[in-house]
Amino acid sequence: MTIPEAEPSGLTASEAAKRNDLATRKPYIAEKLRNIAAMEERGEISPIIRLEKSYLCNFQCTHCSAEYYMDRHIEKVFKIKDERRKIDLEDIRRLSREADELGLARFVITGGEPLVMKDFDEVVAAIDPDRHYIITDTNGWFLDLERARHLKSIGVEKVQLSLDSMIEAEHDTFRNKPGSYKRVMRAIDASLEAGLNLILSTVLVRGRGRTEEFRSMCEFAKRKGIGLYVSYAKPTGSCTEHPEFVITKEDADIVRELEKDYPVFTHMTPSYGSYKGCITVKGIITVTSTAEVTPCPYIDFSLGNLRETPLKEVLARGMRNPWLGPHRPDCLIGEDPKFIRIHTEKTKGVTHLPLPWGQGFSDNDSLLDD
Amino acid sequence: MAEVSDMPLFDDFGRCVPGAARSPAHPRSRRYFTLLQPKIDYVASHARLLSCLGAGTTLDAAAFEARAASILSRLESDPRTAAIAHGVAVPFILPRLTIDDMGQSLDHRFLPAVREAFEGTYPDYRFANHHRGGLEGRTGIQPESRHARLVAAMSRSELVGIYFPALSEYSLPAALEQVTALPEQFLLAGGVDTCAALISAPGLLLRTDSYPPLLWLGALSSEQPAMGYHFEAYGFNLTFNRRPHLGLAAEYWSCGLTVLEDG
Ligand code: SF4
Repeated sequence: MTIPEAEPSGLTASEAAKRNDLATRKPYIAEKLRNIAAMEERGEISPIIRLEKSYLCNFQCTHCSAEYYMDRHIEKVFKIKDERRKIDLEDIRRLSREADELGLARFVITGGEPLVMKDFDEVVAAIDPDRHYIITDTNGWFLDLERARHLKSIGVEKVQLSLDSMIEAEHDTFRNKPGSYKRVMRAIDASLEAGLNLILSTVLVRGRGRTEEFRSMCEFAKRKGIGLYVSYAKPTGSCTEHPEFVITKEDADIVRELEKDYPVFTHMTPSYGSYKGCITVKGIITVTSTAEVTPCPYIDFSLGNLRETPLKEVLARGMRNPWLGPHRPDCLIGEDPKFIRIHTEKTKGVTHLPLPWGQGFSDNDSLLDD
Repeated sequence: MAEVSDMPLFDDFGRCVPGAARSPAHPRSRRYFTLLQPKIDYVASHARLLSCLGAGTTLDAAAFEARAASILSRLESDPRTAAIAHGVAVPFILPRLTIDDMGQSLDHRFLPAVREAFEGTYPDYRFANHHRGGLEGRTGIQPESRHARLVAAMSRSELVGIYFPALSEYSLPAALEQVTALPEQFLLAGGVDTCAALISAPGLLLRTDSYPPLLWLGALSSEQPAMGYHFEAYGFNLTFNRRPHLGLAAEYWSCGLTVLEDG
């Protein structure tokens, strides 16, 4: 599970070629993507929609932010079943239409591991690959050449592949899955061969930015001509038990310096001159399997349920919330101690995440204590 | 516009209390995004302003220091304005200059001078101007900002002033509303004064332990009403850019006030 796609700064020749190719194959989407800058100029937002249709996963990663949403966790820890109504293909079609009407253009299928979803192809069709740019997250386990070609054929444009260490044993341990490093390497070649856009994603835990291993991952990405997307470990999900993973400003600044020499970026990296900072709501929303909308995959507070509240109002709630607000430079859930404390206290022992609108976030939120 | 009563206009940390703002402004701040008072070495500051910006030709460092001190003591002697001195204050000098096109002056003189000052002081870090296409012909002065007075005064002589990032957590419209209710000596900071402050104290936005606020050039208008110009740290680097301000207040955003010597 990663947060998707922010382009590294500077439009390279190959990036320009990819855009031209998209404009030929999918002019409607290319036009919407081009419009994003104009929307920003008008003060409108255009977040990427992460869709968590299912949390099924063949891995059990140490740092997974979705673990607490998984049936396996709810059943094992709380001994209950999640009886909430789950999103279906019709919900996704409606979301696709609402998003399109607002000019939104990008969906990321995530989870869980999307490639274990039996209805993956139907989900892609429900999003509508001719209306939205579709990206899928994957741990790479099932992504051989045949599957990669199939993804391309059904309209997926881009794959975000998780790689957590350049040291094979370390990656496999972090992912709790022997053989997973080799599968990632296979998936990289398969994706490139199939003509999918590819991005590697990796989790930065405290201190990793200084290591030789991290530097060699940056070198690897540069050599392969692939962007390396870095997400910070956050004190949520499985990481709640690993506060030592949470990064400091120094770690974040090390990555900011590496951006000068490598195709490495976070979703806060300036993108073609546009600085976004923390992209909650402005740049990203997550739709959970129960149709709740969270501002970030690591924040378990909902801004509303799409069965009850139109997407437009959900986004407006987020933009007027002082925590999420119009703009902040740091990671709210990874760096702001006060918000982390509030989040930890409110979500502690909660069986059904995210907390509904009104219980986590609300229109009465204040940055101050009183 | 009437001035707000005889209550102190600034809080204990030098933040301007948003009493007159109708547009969004946080009533109080939890002080999460803050600046530290830079140590002002007047000799070094004067030398940088002179070499990077060509400002300070008619006064030396000692005069710069004395004239800045007189501004501060004038503010401190008035109970309503005294607390502004509890916040960050950056003295600067502006060159004598007639500005016909603000964007052109920023592009050709002031922003390159900020770059030179920043990269000269911090050779490992970069100043990046992310604003594509240049500012020439694209930016003007917000009429309510009082900034036109500064530009007019610049055409007559070199100016000594102090930049106060005192309008933290104000939306841009709220900053304009607030400044019209402050005593006449307070001007909303725009491009040239904010640049001069960053040349005087190039490390103003460089913090390694926490995040500094973004500094809006609140007195400047842009071709799109929803957009504004700003300086912002990116890691240890300094950037200039524009972005939508949405008419909203953010904990991370600050506008500045400028007070000139002759008030
Ligand atoms: S809180 Fe903001 S910066 Fe942190 S992971 Fe979420 S979207 Fe990204």
